[in-house]
Amino acid sequence: MSVLLQQLVNGVMQGALIALIALGYTMVYGIIQLINFAHGEVFMVASYGGLATYTWLLPEDLKKVPYVALPLMFVGGIIVAVIVAVIMERFAYRPLRNAPRLAPLITALGVSVFLQEFVRNVYPNATSNLPYPKVFPEGALSLGGVNISKTGLLLVLLSVGLAVVLQTYINRSRMGRAMRATAQDPDTAKLMGVDPDRVIVLTFIFGAVLAGVAGILYGGYLSNINIDMGFQTGIFAFTAAVLGGVGSIRGAVIGAFIIGLIKTLAGQYMPGGTQYDYVWIFVVLILVLVFRPQGLFGEPERVRA
Amino acid sequence: MTPVLEARDVSMVFGGLKALKGVTLTLDEGKIVGLIGPNGAGKTTFFNCLTGLYTPTTGQVLLKGNVLPGDPAQVTDAGVARTFQNIRLFPSMTVLENVMVGRHVRMKQGPLASLFHGPAYHRGEKAARDRSRELLSFVGLNNLDDELSRNLPYGDQRRLEIARALATDPAVLLLDEPTAGMNPQETEATQQLIFRIRETGVSVVVIEHDIKFIFGLCDSVSVLVQGELLVEGSPETVRADPRVVEAYLGKPPEEVAHEVEAAAASAEEEQA
Amino acid sequence: MRKHSVKSAAIVGAALLVLAACSSNKNEAGGNNGGSCDTSKGTLTVGVVAPLSGNLSALGIGIKQSAELAVDEANKKCTVKGYKLAVSAQDDEANPAKGAQAATKLSTDPTVIGVVGTLNSSVAQTVQPILKEKKIPQVSPANTNPTLTRGNDFLTAPKRQFENYFRVCTTDDLQGPYAANYLVEKAGKKKIAIITDGKTYGEGLAAELQKQVTKKGGQIVGSEKVGEKDTDFSGVIAKIKATNPEAVYYGGEYPVAGPLSKQMKDAGLNVPLMGGDGIFDGKFIELGGKEGDLATSVGAPTESLATAKAFVDAYKAKFGKEDYAAYGAFSYDAANALIGALATTLSSGDWSDSKRDDMLANVGKYSGSGATGDVKFDQYGDSTNKVLTVYSVTSGKWKDVETGTFTG
Ligand SMILES: Nc1ncnc2c1ncn2[C@@H]1O[C@H](COP(=O)(O)OP(=O)(O)OP(=O)(O)O)[C@@H](O)[C@H]1O
Ligand SMILES: [Mg+2]
Repeated sequence: MSVLLQQLVNGVMQGALIALIALGYTMVYGIIQLINFAHGEVFMVASYGGLATYTWLLPEDLKKVPYVALPLMFVGGIIVAVIVAVIMERFAYRPLRNAPRLAPLITALGVSVFLQEFVRNVYPNATSNLPYPKVFPEGALSLGGVNISKTGLLLVLLSVGLAVVLQTYINRSRMGRAMRATAQDPDTAKLMGVDPDRVIVLTFIFGAVLAGVAGILYGGYLSNINIDMGFQTGIFAFTAAVLGGVGSIRGAVIGAFIIGLIKTLAGQYMPGGTQYDYVWIFVVLILVLVFRPQGLFGEPERVRA
Repeated sequence: MTPVLEARDVSMVFGGLKALKGVTLTLDEGKIVGLIGPNGAGKTTFFNCLTGLYTPTTGQVLLKGNVLPGDPAQVTDAGVARTFQNIRLFPSMTVLENVMVGRHVRMKQGPLASLFHGPAYHRGEKAARDRSRELLSFVGLNNLDDELSRNLPYGDQRRLEIARALATDPAVLLLDEPTAGMNPQETEATQQLIFRIRETGVSVVVIEHDIKFIFGLCDSVSVLVQGELLVEGSPETVRADPRVVEAYLGKPPEEVAHEVEAAAASAEEEQA
Repeated sequence: MRKHSVKSAAIVGAALLVLAACSSNKNEAGGNNGGSCDTSKGTLTVGVVAPLSGNLSALGIGIKQSAELAVDEANKKCTVKGYKLAVSAQDDEANPAKGAQAATKLSTDPTVIGVVGTLNSSVAQTVQPILKEKKIPQVSPANTNPTLTRGNDFLTAPKRQFENYFRVCTTDDLQGPYAANYLVEKAGKKKIAIITDGKTYGEGLAAELQKQVTKKGGQIVGSEKVGEKDTDFSGVIAKIKATNPEAVYYGGEYPVAGPLSKQMKDAGLNVPLMGGDGIFDGKFIELGGKEGDLATSVGAPTESLATAKAFVDAYKAKFGKEDYAAYGAFSYDAANALIGALATTLSSGDWSDSKRDDMLANVGKYSGSGATGDVKFDQYGDSTNKVLTVYSVTSGKWKDVETGTFTG
């Protein structure tokens, strides 16, 4: 019993991390129908950005004060992520806005490889795993034999909290409505005075902020980072977005938790164990796509007038 | 007095197709101008040129004497709003939200103000919501605020598009076939709605195939045939012009003449 | 995965550019001392194949630099008469495919008289046959998988696999059982869970450990696999935690072992993690290895060996740091075995391809006293030196606990 509970807790924590990244995939897809494969790399870059902030920008005495160091790492990581995302949108995707869909998709793959290689070559010792500083809440709460890591708990709270803020923003604010309007009909949105460039940049920025938060928490939760993390986690996040219905905020979050849970539960109970856990994720994905191609919460594809 | 909207010699060429050939049109403040013509005459293309969706190959569009910018968002900001022949609401947004998107251009809330729900945010949202509700009841859509726009009946969707266009506080409203698909009662109500819109100080250009509706509504009518402005003038002048009778939609002249007369007669009845 | 092929294509493209930009990366070792020796017959090359980049680069660079040190000293001492020696180090990125490329590159260079490497047993598997084609001796400082020398039935029906392959380190069939003895008999841990990374090295270690644990009356309570690139081990940890192990044995290397140990502790599974020489590195502790974690390594601790003192001093003098890592002393001995055999080979005439048979025979017969003790090979190419050491993380550092020879 406690094993099941433990795996559920683990699954929720993994899901929370995946959700933060999946939101970026789903928002960008919703607005410009681009699967931004480089989004996983934004998450990776943010993680290195946070580490760089800690290593080179924080004075030695502040490094020992977690409640100062940690927020500053978040700020550093998020700034790096946002800068990368804005540059990526401006110079890689915007010129291709009216090109056939395949062009930006290939570009996204290129940006992804570029970012990975850039970090590999520029960040000192990035070729191997780098330890993450110990500024996160240490240890775990123990509830009836179930271990709840404090960093993991922080991860879940931030993930769910930010998803709610995002959902509220999109539903209840001028720019949020503009985002949805642009997603549904960009030409008509323009005629309502919505500037699509602003909306699209804002979407990338939001995705980057969430990926930035995820990048820092990942380092804290797993205590190590490496340049493959964006690709690995990005694939799961992308899958979560598709599972939940690309374009749907709620879908991305729920999809992410489903994937986190499948991963841990399949690792525990399915044949093949943890080695094959991702196989089950893709089995579920395929089933969903066969029986509900638009994903769990997606809207059926609309033909644009 | 400067006309509120003036199109000067507007031409639009698609590849080899000349969709508009030097169209000039003037809309005086407080007037309703009708634009008629057979299918494919270039009426919708003309609206697209006016609103910046297309950049005219030649020609100029002026609003109150100032050249309009070529960008749809800026055209809206300047004061031109429109509806579409094939309805283009935001299908997955509610009725109220659709109108509030129309308020976008008149709201000042930036991306950050929206994030930190301060008092300015709440004031702005409330003002936008109140104005949107007012417009919804103005066009006759009450108690439907939270309905998804795609679930509305056809006629209501057309009215919602008008409310959304009005939400941008336009000086000029362009209506592309506002009664298409409506029954006679709804058409009648729409005519009254357009009169009431004019009363609020908005000048209107309306495209319609329903000639009875046009002659009953407009202060002046322009006839567009194959991209060229054939006739322009008061409903009476246009009705009397034999070229209109001949050109209109390729129908036998007698039939059109009959139709035009019938329309004129009923329009007179109404005015009486 | 789909994305992977696109990525690899782009990476290969980028790699080709880099290769084109630096087509020669030979290190001319000891260039300014060449004056005192006769080097009129040209340059001969000692190849090195090791992970110079990537997660295991700390180990790989230790191997490369220690080989350079040996070559440097040989040049100074005029060990090989008439020739100057150089090192050509090729990066295998701990990847068998890359290792094959590296081996191919070296095997097409007629001046290569032998190769020091590889670090990984899995990489050795692709390198061995390529070098064998050209009769180039390969001396590994670090491959511990027994099948590389003695085949799949290495215990019951050992059979020499490659006449060009030798190693100066002990094998896993001893490392695993030696660890088992320590865990069950010395540390009193009867219930042991095993985690492996699915690679040749880790699987070999774990398989031998498992047999010995059972033999000594211990119990394997669980067995799990993790991916080489996994980073979140919470699933595996929850699974083995349920079996209440007293220790966890990890068959694999430190990039996974470090985070794994840390995550075990975070998840409330605070038992020692033990591994083989693949986790015996400072990076293991940096990446999360905790107090009390254990590792076996081949040979005796470099620092405590009287024979290694000269090596350590020379290394420090040359490179300024003591980053020879776990296999530096072995790599130094491996290079010296090649150099010694070369000197013997050339006593009967100049270097040419026809000398390669002699060269192989002379490596096999080589006997010397090196940094790690006696260096000598048995009929399979294995080292005759079977000394092993258990280390434990103590105050944030690896500290040797026990050195000995496995006796069963
Ligand atoms: N984007 C475009 N590209 C090419 N041709 C176009 C484009 N838009 C319109 N046309 C062509 O221009 C001509 C005028 O079309 P338009 O839609 O303006 O006619 P209309 O008068 O509105 O007709 P209807 O009464 O059927 O709505 C048509 O021949 C049409 O095919
Ligand atoms: Mg039209």
